[in-house]
Amino acid sequence: MGVFKAIFSGMGTTFRKPRLLIILYAVNLVFAGLVALPFLFIVQGELGHSLYGLNVQPVDLNWIGEAVLKYQAALPGLAAGLVAAGVVYTVLHIFLNGGIVGRLLDKEGPASLAGFVADCGRYFGRYVRLFLVSLVFLVLTLGVFMSLVSALFKPLSKAAITEWLPLILSNLHLLIALLLLSVVHMTVDYARIAVAVDGERKVLKALRHALTFLKTRFFRAWAVYLLIVVLTVAGTIVFYVLFGRLGAPSVAQVAAGLACMQIYIVFRIWVRTLFVAAQAEFYKAHPY
Amino acid sequence: MKKSIVRAVLMLGAALAVLPALSIAAQAPAAPAAGAPGLRYEIWVELDPAGQMLAGKEEIVWTNPTKDTVPDMLLHLYWNAFKNEASAFMREAAAETMFGGSAAPEDEGWGWVDVTDIRLADGTDLKPAFQFVTPDGPDHPDDQTVARVLFPVPVRPGESVHLRIEFRSKVPRTVARSGYYRNSFFIGQWFPKPGVYEEGKGWNCHAYHQNSEFFADFADFTVHITVPRGYVVGSSGKAVDTRTDESAGTATTTFRQSMVHDFAWMTDPRYLRIERDFVADREVTPQEYKETADLLGLPPDEVRLPDVKMILLIAPEHRSQIERHFNALRAALKYYGLWYGPYPYETVTMVDPPFRTGSGGMEYPTLFTAGTQVLTSRDVQSPEMVIIHEFGHGYWYGLAANNEFEAAWLDEGFNTYSTTRVMAKAFGPGAFGFRFNGLPLDWFVRVPKVFDYETNRVAAINTVRYDPVTAWSWEFYNRGSYGANVYMRAATVLSTLENLLGEPVWSRIMRTYHMRYRFRHPTEADFAGVVNEIAGKDMTWFFDELLEETRAFDYGVAALTSVEVPVQVRGVFDRNGAREEWTEKKIEDLEAAEAKAPDEGRGKALYRTTVVLRRFGEARLAGDAQVEVLIRFKDGTTETRTWDGRDRWTRLVIVSPVEAESAQVDPRGIWLIDENLANNSRSADGLRRNVVKLMTQLLFTVQNILHFFGSWS
Ligand SMILES: [Zn+2]
Repeated sequence: MGVFKAIFSGMGTTFRKPRLLIILYAVNLVFAGLVALPFLFIVQGELGHSLYGLNVQPVDLNWIGEAVLKYQAALPGLAAGLVAAGVVYTVLHIFLNGGIVGRLLDKEGPASLAGFVADCGRYFGRYVRLFLVSLVFLVLTLGVFMSLVSALFKPLSKAAITEWLPLILSNLHLLIALLLLSVVHMTVDYARIAVAVDGERKVLKALRHALTFLKTRFFRAWAVYLLIVVLTVAGTIVFYVLFGRLGAPSVAQVAAGLACMQIYIVFRIWVRTLFVAAQAEFYKAHPY
Repeated sequence: MKKSIVRAVLMLGAALAVLPALSIAAQAPAAPAAGAPGLRYEIWVELDPAGQMLAGKEEIVWTNPTKDTVPDMLLHLYWNAFKNEASAFMREAAAETMFGGSAAPEDEGWGWVDVTDIRLADGTDLKPAFQFVTPDGPDHPDDQTVARVLFPVPVRPGESVHLRIEFRSKVPRTVARSGYYRNSFFIGQWFPKPGVYEEGKGWNCHAYHQNSEFFADFADFTVHITVPRGYVVGSSGKAVDTRTDESAGTATTTFRQSMVHDFAWMTDPRYLRIERDFVADREVTPQEYKETADLLGLPPDEVRLPDVKMILLIAPEHRSQIERHFNALRAALKYYGLWYGPYPYETVTMVDPPFRTGSGGMEYPTLFTAGTQVLTSRDVQSPEMVIIHEFGHGYWYGLAANNEFEAAWLDEGFNTYSTTRVMAKAFGPGAFGFRFNGLPLDWFVRVPKVFDYETNRVAAINTVRYDPVTAWSWEFYNRGSYGANVYMRAATVLSTLENLLGEPVWSRIMRTYHMRYRFRHPTEADFAGVVNEIAGKDMTWFFDELLEETRAFDYGVAALTSVEVPVQVRGVFDRNGAREEWTEKKIEDLEAAEAKAPDEGRGKALYRTTVVLRRFGEARLAGDAQVEVLIRFKDGTTETRTWDGRDRWTRLVIVSPVEAESAQVDPRGIWLIDENLANNSRSADGLRRNVVKLMTQLLFTVQNILHFFGSWS
């Protein structure tokens, strides 16, 4: 199957599943609302009745400085809370991944909440194990490979005559790391798909399915992945350009800004489902 | 020195030729400091780049300017701070609670200075009477950054002593300010250098501490620098002669400078050397001269600026930024000159710090180091700010030469304040210089622009509880407190004082203080004296509250209510000899009647507005200072009240025919040092579009972060 065909076909699948998007967006919104609540209270409490609030900027150095001073005792607690929320959300998302993969593979069926939750439950155990395996996989590939790259770059950088060489090397290092990360991420995606498509009960075997699959068509698979990354970046740029055009806040501008931001979140969630759908199309076209 | 990233060096020309400029200081006796003409150095130094060694000979003539008979001399040997881990510098770095750890140089590239020979001009060997001492107490017994030499005969008042010293120094692999990388060298604090003799108190000669800079007397310098031929040399002072030695393959340049208290140089074979002229009449318009003269109350001739030779030494990879460097330096020469006094030297040398020599953002007389990177952003005024700051030290440290060990804020605080002012005037607000993996962050996202005084304030309010601004440099809680207090809090306090006294008075204070203490060693008391004199009132309380103490400044509005004054209150009243009782019901009836016929009765409703003001901070106003409170009413009218702010709180009550909309303390924004601007005002309504927008963006940020977590699971 061609790269573009996989992507377009994946898009078709995602467009037939608007309910999937709604479920995922609702989860994100509710969870984010809960996490953001203490911060929203702080903002309203501090600025709601202050003239300072009239001109406060989204990134307002003066006010952030004051808030840091005032809430410094609470900062470690807030930070710990954020990390805990991140961990909980990660687990929640491992659970949701079952529904995403399951509903997207069931090409024609509706993404009903019941079906979604059933899929979540069905794959949860395996996806948790896969997640843990992926961490090991990540450390092995990224850790080992990147320390090799570092070992190669370090003496070069140390002997540099100007700042150019270290600058180029460090960005090259970052680029390699990102590309490698994309490969690991993609591989784990395919392993997830293999769990569902092949009905594989052992995650290590599913991972092997994915690796075998990628062995013969790595670059095409990677192209699918990277093209969707490009789509994400393009969407992000469009969002920031549009968002940046919004003027001084009137009620309408604030509402438009909010809408813009929420559409962008929906877009990001949609891209996530597109990754799964397109890669699933690609995988299914070349059965194990 | 610019805390953190960058450093600078100032190179000045022969001051004697410019000394007529000193007469400009008509308003102040700008006599050279005690001892200034009484100290002379002639130094011969040769660099061995391969061994990173300096071989030096030094002649020092010191004339005792005091009424004391002086038996000895204390000498700084600064590079011994980099000799081993037992130095005060290294031990303080290791004990540092913020970004602490070993400051040991890379690749074991320790640096040191050995005095191999010291004798009087008549040949008397002083080496047996030469020993390391620890003038800052017993904490670091193995520190070797100060040595004492005992004279065979004490130096009586007015007498001179002529020392001949030979020294060998190993250039450190950059620890702080000085160092080498490959064949680039930055050489500062490198020669044996006497402390400052203070009458009745002896030698002021502190160890080289991690958080401290320097202190020395004004002197005349002649320095002969020998480097391999082809090496570009930049130095304090003015090059007066260059000779090459074909057989040795070296070149020796002689630099001279009078009336400076330090001398630094650099060399690098790759560097570009560019000269430009600061032509005062091209930079300053007649109108600007007139405005300055009017503001300062001086004759126009006294504010006229001299032309200056600007010399830039820059790495070839920064070639595209040459104009940025000169533009910033021109702005600095212009505004420091107009505000504080004309630049008194012929030259100023700006050095782009050599790669990996850790020498950026540092000041030396007539020479400073700037600092930039190959990838820059237009919006981030990064080389500009450093250049202005480090040039500015030529005024605050170079000319008004306070003791940086004991009162660092007098140069860093004054200079941070001045930098902020020049930056705002010449360049406006700038974006934060955040970087992502070495790339300017504002290439990717919009970085907010701020004025430096805003950044200063944020640092100030977050460090006030750690140390007084006036603490000695190495006695701060940590490096962060030293930096934020001495630079930013001091600058914020000065900005506050400017706001409080108003520009005309303030401009004269700064001008008078600078010109009066030019070529001298001013103290905090000297500055306070000028403030009190020019302001015509005692402002000592201001210094006590905001600099000498660790008191937070925070006045705010604690509550605002506006309630209708009832037509009648309940209870039993004796009126006109009769007793009448007002019940709830009776009052309601009266109100209903008034509502029907508003022209009868008392007429329009009245409101009682109550504003509760609090002093949340420890710092307290005194003198004639008052907290101003502006109350806005719903019909657009305003009323201003004042409170002396001595107590912890006060309540203001205003009865008026209209409800209050908001109350605001310090509506003119005088108290920049106030640590909570959000509580400075309180309004009746409680939801603001900007606040809602901020909340939606907060939510969005959390949504994005969560999505990111989700994508990787
Ligand atoms: Zn500085």
